[in-house]
Amino acid sequence: MAADQFACTAAVIEETPDAVVVSNLGVASYVLAEVGDRERNFYLWGSMGSTTATGVGVAHGTDEQVTVLAGDGSLTMSLGVCSTVATADQSNLTVVCFDNGIYGTTGGQPTPSIDFAAAAEAQGLPAERVDSDDEFAAAYADAVARDGPSLIECTVEPTDPEARPTFDFPHIPRRVRDSLTE
Amino acid sequence: MSWEAEIVDGLLDAEIDLVTQLPDGAMGAVLEGIQESDVDTLRVEREESAIAAASGAWVTGERAAVMCQSSGLANAINAIGSLSAPARLPFLALVTRRGDLGEFNVAQVPAGYGLPGMMDEMGIRHTVVEEPGTLRKTVRMAADSAFSTRTPYVVFLDATVTGYGQEAQ
Repeated sequence: MAADQFACTAAVIEETPDAVVVSNLGVASYVLAEVGDRERNFYLWGSMGSTTATGVGVAHGTDEQVTVLAGDGSLTMSLGVCSTVATADQSNLTVVCFDNGIYGTTGGQPTPSIDFAAAAEAQGLPAERVDSDDEFAAAYADAVARDGPSLIECTVEPTDPEARPTFDFPHIPRRVRDSLTE
Repeated sequence: MSWEAEIVDGLLDAEIDLVTQLPDGAMGAVLEGIQESDVDTLRVEREESAIAAASGAWVTGERAAVMCQSSGLANAINAIGSLSAPARLPFLALVTRRGDLGEFNVAQVPAGYGLPGMMDEMGIRHTVVEEPGTLRKTVRMAADSAFSTRTPYVVFLDATVTGYGQEAQ
């Protein structure tokens, strides 16, 4: 069984409409853009493996909910970042790892099979593993409500979105900043 | 005034809100000084994350600084090159530079000695501080320029400032 990444991403926006959503380069950002462009969508166009840490930095400076949409390939590249999330211990940060089993932006090669929830727990970051749209929505609501960060590992079917965020990379964080500070 | 105190005062003058860092013995007194102030610190697992977190803080209106060793900055080249620089996410970096005067460990040489050149190739502004005495002003001005121009700025601290290992002496 696997969840639908579009439905889960839409559930994030529905549950936390004011959240800053930091999305990994590639599929996570393309899906987020297709679900709906918004001022607080912090799409990344590069730096694979740095998405979650970027979210930690955002969560430090705002009381708003910050949600990271990572991919299994990206999180594999920097799995130790879960320890940083645990160390920072920010109540407004939730990390979602969409595990589609492939490097979706580089040709669909298989990713290593990793129990991300167990890896997060081993680093002191509470985590839950889900594999359906309903389970994800419930887990995300719980994660947002909890007094501390957590990770949701969500098994999803691979997808090939058509949408793209703006190619004007500097505009993306500028827009987020204006939304948070003006 | 010690060079460490100069740096702390420079960070305070620059109104830095957050310092992301990895442990560095040479910067121990700097970190202690920061932690005694109102500036928040965040220890990360890898320097790429220090760069990314500092970059992310900018969208909230904060000013963040990174503290790491030169080998750590080498770890973070792609975060600078494909996140901070192209997305115009500014930060100040304070980097203890190995690989030059007094270096005993050849493993520190290629990256440490070469990093100023690498920063030039990437278009990342930097300065190499070889003598203490103007550090407070340098840190303040580097930060002010980083956030005014919305670009990263790296301050390298040479071993002539931070000291060097007994192994070489």
